[in-house]
Amino acid sequence: MSADKPMLKRLLPSSLLGQVMASVALALLVAQVVSAVLLYRAAEDRRQTAILTQAAFQLVNGGQRRAGAEERITAAQERREALRERPRSRRGDRPQGRRAERREERRLARDERPENEGRSPPPTTGGLPRPLRYTVSTRNPILPAETLERAAQTERLLENLALEEITPTAITIGVRRAGDDPRLLQFAETRPRFRMRSEWKERRLFLVAIQREDGAEWETARVLEPQRPRAATGVLLFQTLITFGFLILILFLVLRRITRPLAELTERVSDFSRQPDQVVRLAETGPADTRRLIAAHNAMETRIASMLDEKDVMLGAIGHDLKTPLAALRVRIESVPDDAQRQKMADSIEDITATLDDILVLARIGHGLRPNDGVPLEPVDMNALMMSVVEEFEDLGDPVSMDSASEKGRIVASIQETWVKRALRNLVSNAVRYGEEASLSLHQEGGHVVLRIDDIGPGIPADRINDMLEPFTRGEASRNRATGGAGLGLALARAIAQQHGGELTLTNLHPGLRAELRLPL
Amino acid sequence: MDNSAPTQILLVDDEPTLREPLAEYLAGQGFTVTQSASAAAARTALTEMTPDIVLLDIMMPGEDGLSLCRHLVETRQLPVIFLTARGEPTDRIVGLELGADDYIVKPFEPRELVARIRTVLRRVARGAGAQHTDSEDWHYSFEGWLLDPLKRKLTDPEGVTVPVSTAEFRLLRAFLDSPRMILDRDRLLDLVQGRTAHLFDRAVDNQISRLRRKIEAETRDPQFIQTVRGGGYRFAASVKRIAPTPGSG
Repeated sequence: MSADKPMLKRLLPSSLLGQVMASVALALLVAQVVSAVLLYRAAEDRRQTAILTQAAFQLVNGGQRRAGAEERITAAQERREALRERPRSRRGDRPQGRRAERREERRLARDERPENEGRSPPPTTGGLPRPLRYTVSTRNPILPAETLERAAQTERLLENLALEEITPTAITIGVRRAGDDPRLLQFAETRPRFRMRSEWKERRLFLVAIQREDGAEWETARVLEPQRPRAATGVLLFQTLITFGFLILILFLVLRRITRPLAELTERVSDFSRQPDQVVRLAETGPADTRRLIAAHNAMETRIASMLDEKDVMLGAIGHDLKTPLAALRVRIESVPDDAQRQKMADSIEDITATLDDILVLARIGHGLRPNDGVPLEPVDMNALMMSVVEEFEDLGDPVSMDSASEKGRIVASIQETWVKRALRNLVSNAVRYGEEASLSLHQEGGHVVLRIDDIGPGIPADRINDMLEPFTRGEASRNRATGGAGLGLALARAIAQQHGGELTLTNLHPGLRAELRLPL
Repeated sequence: MDNSAPTQILLVDDEPTLREPLAEYLAGQGFTVTQSASAAAARTALTEMTPDIVLLDIMMPGEDGLSLCRHLVETRQLPVIFLTARGEPTDRIVGLELGADDYIVKPFEPRELVARIRTVLRRVARGAGAQHTDSEDWHYSFEGWLLDPLKRKLTDPEGVTVPVSTAEFRLLRAFLDSPRMILDRDRLLDLVQGRTAHLFDRAVDNQISRLRRKIEAETRDPQFIQTVRGGGYRFAASVKRIAPTPGSG
């Protein structure tokens, strides 16, 4: 069951429009099925009533005909006898008299036949040839298995019969396949045309048998169920489709008024999260609820944009207002006579400056700007980039070197040079600060270039590695020297890597720490 | 230095806490310093004196440094070095496009500032100054390589950026300014100094070998930067100056 669920979910529409349309379609389908069933049952009821009415008519008719035939036979025999006894007429009358005699003879013969076996057309509408419509037998021809127990219909049948003053003591309604009825089969044997049309065999044959008195003969009426009208299902289907189409069209138009502004809003929100500095007022369209939502979003967007602007202004001000006094300080310490003291002060100022820069950069990356305000990525020789950083540190006398294991061939990656350089510088200065010396190497792994910085320091406890990548986190107190930064270096390097669609990983080497900056080529 | 009269510096910065000690420091280095607290004050001061060089803060209340710089370069042809708290590369390019000669980010090492002042003055004294402001943004081209002097960007024949350090950039530019001429170590030394001032001795040789690693196909048999016996180097390829395409800026 649980395994089926995702499959089911995948098949169901996920959008508002789709879901509403699907549920309306489903509800409509159920309603149509219910009404179709009810209609079918009503039609079926009507048909059966019609059949039973016909059966009653046949029983009445058949009974009268039988009684009439008996009378006619008796009357005919009497007349025949009378004819034989009549003396012959004169010659002049003869031909005429003889002709009338023959005519009379034919009529008598016809009347003497107990049942009319006329040439009625093969049954198509439920009408059976006369000899099959009404039969008389000593036993009830309806088997118990074929009996229909329909109280209401039996009642109606009895009412119909009562109108003709027939009050049977026993009545049975039965139904069977027409092809199973011995009488019909027997009749079909003698009528090739009837036999050839075999479609009737599959139709239902209704039988109504009555006994007028206890122990009397069973009189049976047979009614072949008329063919179902085909058009009914077609009409129903057509009607369903029309209703469906109309409803779906209306629903689609109404829902689109809601979903279209929603889609625009969604697009706008995702655009805004990528480029929050571009405020676009979305037109307030759609129903009132949607319009209110759009208005609220517009207000929020304006507010966020102004907050971000304020932040940028504030960052610029912080940068300017802190760097100017730092510059003043840097100039003033030149008058410190003690070289060693002066160098320490200069180093401190440099650390503060570096941290300040990191904070400013991190704050700018933080709100989702592309590196360097949309300066496009460009292909850069990564070997040369790494070498430049190594040289910077070498020139300052730091123990930083290129590892001989580094890739010798040229590796070109699409990056923002100044930002990746900054990330690399941060990683190298961390390695020098905490890991004594840094060894850099460049590698190509699949579609990525890997800038690797190994140190020989104590590494980072495994459970602290992830914390170290968060801003303002530093290693243990023992590693926290006076020259320590604000713990922004790694956070910034990671942010830059992520801006480029890459990542920063830290691994303990025992001894030493390996930092890897992985960037897509 | 070799100047007979003391160099006149006009220092324009709205922040007295920086301006005053800096003026003191520069005076201690043998310069004559005039201070202005705003662009307007600087314009007044300029009516009475003609400095050899102007040190200009960018962010000032009232008229800013960029606007004053445009005036100075266009009407007085004075060399300008920007002092600024904003270190974004785009800011530097804007400053240099206005015709400034150099750009130094606060907080700076005072000795580096002095070195840069001397470099700019020397270049102006050589007579390159007047000419070079016109074609400052023209790119250097050699054997398919391109050097954009404003962005300090070196691109190889395939269009791949090859990062160079500041010292390497200055060195390469010196070669490209004087192709096929022998440049001696002393002359190159000026270009390489700066933060690395305490590593003077091997600095030039070091930087040359680094630059070779980046641009030469075979560092043992250099095609571009060749060593000349008797202490010097020569750039062996021919160099063209081309105007930047509008889209490349």
